[in-house]
Amino acid sequence: MSCPHAIEGLTPKPLLRLRAHPLRIALVGNPNVGKSVIFGRLTGRYVTVSNYPGTTVAVTRGRATVGAEVCDIIDTPGVNMLEGALSEDEKVTRDLVASGNAELIVQVADARNLRRALMLTSQIAAFGRPTILVLNMIDEARARGVDIDTAGLAAELGIPVIEAVATEGRGLAELREALTEAAPLDGGIAAGVTHLQWADEMAHRFRTIGPMSLGRFQEWLGRAVREPLTGLPILILVLYLTYLAVGVLGAQTLVGLLEDGLFGTWLNPWARSLAAHIPIAFVRDFLVGDYGLVTMGMTYAIAIVLPVVSTFFLVFGILEDSGYIPRLAIFSDRIFRAMGLNGKAVLPMVLGLGCDTMATMTTRILATPKERLIAILLLALGVPCSAQLATIMGILGGVSFWALLTLFGVVVFQMILVGFLAARLLPGDRSDFIMELPPMRLPRLGNLATKTGLRVRWYLGEALPLFLVGTALLFALDRVGGLAVIAQATRPVVSGLLGLPPKAAEVFVMGFLRRDYGAAGMFLMARDGALTHVQAVVALTVMTLFVPCVANFLMIVKERGLRVGLAILGFVTVMAVGTGAVLNGVLRFFHVAF
Amino acid sequence: MWPSEGVHQLSALPAGARGRIVRVKRDLTPRAERLAALGVGPGARITVLQTFPGIVIECDQTELALERVVGSAIWIALE
Repeated sequence: MSCPHAIEGLTPKPLLRLRAHPLRIALVGNPNVGKSVIFGRLTGRYVTVSNYPGTTVAVTRGRATVGAEVCDIIDTPGVNMLEGALSEDEKVTRDLVASGNAELIVQVADARNLRRALMLTSQIAAFGRPTILVLNMIDEARARGVDIDTAGLAAELGIPVIEAVATEGRGLAELREALTEAAPLDGGIAAGVTHLQWADEMAHRFRTIGPMSLGRFQEWLGRAVREPLTGLPILILVLYLTYLAVGVLGAQTLVGLLEDGLFGTWLNPWARSLAAHIPIAFVRDFLVGDYGLVTMGMTYAIAIVLPVVSTFFLVFGILEDSGYIPRLAIFSDRIFRAMGLNGKAVLPMVLGLGCDTMATMTTRILATPKERLIAILLLALGVPCSAQLATIMGILGGVSFWALLTLFGVVVFQMILVGFLAARLLPGDRSDFIMELPPMRLPRLGNLATKTGLRVRWYLGEALPLFLVGTALLFALDRVGGLAVIAQATRPVVSGLLGLPPKAAEVFVMGFLRRDYGAAGMFLMARDGALTHVQAVVALTVMTLFVPCVANFLMIVKERGLRVGLAILGFVTVMAVGTGAVLNGVLRFFHVAF
Repeated sequence: MWPSEGVHQLSALPAGARGRIVRVKRDLTPRAERLAALGVGPGARITVLQTFPGIVIECDQTELALERVVGSAIWIALE
């Protein structure tokens, strides 16, 4: 009003505005459309990016400078809808959008799938916030023959619509510029028209689908991995290659190099000779004794577990980014249904092979409370994490193939049994198996390197201190005679029921802290010849089924409450010891020697 | 049964079949709602890609895996 002659398009944009807090911008969109990539591009902060729906299950915040203004960027879990029956990760996003904590919404869409994105757009419109629509992966959409009239769509909706290829940084500058032009959606949808009808009409008007120019190989691979005749051999091949990388290269070659070479030949003798100058025997032992920080704690964490988790994280990253893991859901759906879950549960279960703690959080993608509880229970019970898995392979691979098969057979049988019973005893329902399969893609080396590097760093930051604390604890227990007391007290169980040497009790104590720490202890016991083959199989089976590590337990408590946490802890411990006892009895009765 | 000619349950269709969704059966579960959120609703075009061990369809450039029960709630007019 004060400047009647200004032409509308030339009105200066307010770059600096006084606010009580930075402008809060939420990235919202369907699952697996690239919200986290855009978040990383805007804020410079890396959050895990993968090629499956449900990588992000919690809100992440970061700062970005747009023009001269500092903004809070919020990355959210993917949603297919904001109304109706939502899973817990979807509720996180809905609550954020509804609460007013997001002042501006950047809807990220997979350009291939305009119709579905627009269905969400029409639901976002109901909240009346300034919105921008980003059509991400526009290159893939074009390869599939999808052509979108971006300008027409922007004019119709009354909001900026931006084409982007976020992984390459294309469209990001345009997005930053457009942030000042965000507006609430025009008009919205007329009464009586459903979101689907509206989206159908919009997609029809602004999108044309021509012939596909998708790579033949990509198309072939996507089909080959999901059809049983080709898919099952591929699955076996993938498992075998994983075993070669983690079980052989990681657990044998690299561990050998680090443990015998670096630590055995150089570091430990060097630390010992250095420590010899320390006049106090107590301090000397604390550093380089049997339970020494260097000779035990560091050696376990760096020489035995680190090579294994590193190779595992690398292989796992490749599988995550390729889009392969969700396709396993098709094969496993029937089995999971018998356990009160559905094929979607394959995601947290496979993620559990990386880290059960993270996987416990990923159970948020499951639709009903019953499914989440069963999945959390099965993760705590039977799914061995990467480090544990590889120590298992390291020990039993040297015994025999049958030993390995016995362990996995028993563990899988117990999981199915417990799942089967839980499905019938626990109240509630399972949900339908309806799952989106992301396109198969060649993993991007940059993302793979960043992700693996960050995970290894996370492992070192998370595990190394606990290994050291655990070692200090063992040292203290040993000094005050506590280890002997524990060994004595648990003798009826450890030696009587399980038929293990009393020293194995120590390893189980370590397993309470971290299962991989316990497994590493077992690795050394087996190598020093302190375990017979039968004992190794029994001990590792118990360790695999044994209590979740401290971090996992805390995550269960955080997600499901203390009562559920304690109940799972108690149940799993009894189950593990009971199974071990039966297995020990059976193996001895039939004089199995492996 | 759905009365008209040429309309089938998705779960009864062979791989390779193409058609348009004419109806998604509503019941007390959020099934129809979840499907709609994925773009699987009346009017949508689909292609059946696979029927075993689970049903896989393509709808709107996206592959979706469904269990049989879900497929039997979706009615398709073949093209």
